[in-house]
Amino acid sequence: MAKFLFIYRESTERRAQPSPEEMQALAAAWGKWMQKFSAAIVPGGDGLKHSGRIVKDGLVTDGPYVEAKEIVVSFTIIQADDYNAALVIARECPPGHTIEIRELAGYA
Amino acid sequence: MSEPHELVEHFFRHEFGRVGALLTRSLGVRRLDLVEDVVQAALVQALETWSRRGVPEDPAGWLYRTARNLAIDALRRERVHAQALPRLAEDDERESSPLEAHFADEIGDEPLRLLFVCCHEAVPAESRVALALRMLCGFSTAEIARALLTTDANVQKRIERARARLRELDIDFDTPAATQLSARLDAVLAVVYLLFSQGCHVTHGDMPIRRDLCDEARRLARMLAAHPVGDVPAVHALLALMCFHGARFDARVALDGAIVLLEEQDRSTWNWGDVREGMAWLARSAAGDELTRYHVEAGIAWEHCRAPTFADTDWQRIAELYDTLDRIAPSPLHSLNRAVVEAYLHSPQAGLERLAAVLPENVPARYPGWHVVIGELHFRLGRHSAAERAWREALRLTTARADREFLQSRLAVCRPDGGEPATE
Repeated sequence: MAKFLFIYRESTERRAQPSPEEMQALAAAWGKWMQKFSAAIVPGGDGLKHSGRIVKDGLVTDGPYVEAKEIVVSFTIIQADDYNAALVIARECPPGHTIEIRELAGYA
Repeated sequence: MSEPHELVEHFFRHEFGRVGALLTRSLGVRRLDLVEDVVQAALVQALETWSRRGVPEDPAGWLYRTARNLAIDALRRERVHAQALPRLAEDDERESSPLEAHFADEIGDEPLRLLFVCCHEAVPAESRVALALRMLCGFSTAEIARALLTTDANVQKRIERARARLRELDIDFDTPAATQLSARLDAVLAVVYLLFSQGCHVTHGDMPIRRDLCDEARRLARMLAAHPVGDVPAVHALLALMCFHGARFDARVALDGAIVLLEEQDRSTWNWGDVREGMAWLARSAAGDELTRYHVEAGIAWEHCRAPTFADTDWQRIAELYDTLDRIAPSPLHSLNRAVVEAYLHSPQAGLERLAAVLPENVPARYPGWHVVIGELHFRLGRHSAAERAWREALRLTTARADREFLQSRLAVCRPDGGEPATE
């Protein structure tokens, strides 16, 4: 069993678009997804607020990154046998995101 | 993560209006744009967070706190703490009392106030319903454009115009005098009724009835009736009217999505719970001596619900009601309906004569229903080519799928061989 970090990115343009009704439909789809894969989902995933800070070379700048085309909006950790098994779970996520999948190295 | 809670139907849409109204109270009507932005952003955050962690215990409170914090952040960035920040902070104190009590099923009067703000006499009439749909029902620009049969750009323009007027006026959200509210009640009712009618008579697209629009209208009207300003006969009558129409929704649409005429509807499939609710509202609407168009229209709808079969319809009574309606609120559509009643009461020829008597400048030539009725009356008189002409004209003006299919089936009956569906 390995752990995989799912990093969800979303287009900053699309984000303003969905109506409340459409968002609720998406939330329901995500609820179904969570139920289906509840055994694989490691508790602790979350959404991310859209404001933030960037520290680079001791220099601190403010997010949100309005100029960026995509921003990270949420993450989940999934337990799966291998990349293929993790991909099966990612493929069933409701649409709307780019999902980056990274296996945790397990150094910690 | 606890067990994910299920969200009640339309939760996001309804909370959009409720949270928006609560924040408008704190931020002021001048800042409707900021209110809309932060509520939208809060919903997006909810979607992203709840998708990972499940729906929290008190989703409404979560949304409100998130939207309020976003508003505080935005105001800090703008450095205009002076007015609104202390008020948002007050809300913070209120929060220490159990939020559930504030948010559960109880409807505060903020959404209602917002509805009255949207219907302010300074807001252009065509902008009112667009603004109300956006601010109270959380409809997207595209959804409003579909509902009002106009373009996205138009909706955007109407909403911006409304916001600009409200900014200029800087009206008070908290304390409009009761007399002001009463003066705006007519406009509020017009907006609610327009919303309902749009849902009932969808004039383009795939769905014969937009039930969500009808439900929103009934929700707003119930909210009105629960408030002292709106607890008046006209509101009760409008509710009665909407209940009687709502009762027939299921019967009006066949399984394949086609329109079923009143004459052919299976009355046992009408929603009798709706009818009973309508009767209760109708009884309440009779208090006082005010007679509004909603009273008369509810009366007509009630006559249809009351008749055990189509043949039992009291056309005489309905004819009188339409005459009254046309006196109170003259409209060529009332003349049209009155002509249909005349046809049932006497003969299709009598109906046609009534239509012929309508002054040419009052004929809504672009309204397909006008030609549908003329076609039907001719058809019943055996004048098939005249019927076909009228129906072809109606078809030319119709974009709704269900209406087009209905007309095509009528045209097919028109042909002497009785067969091939008409092609366009």
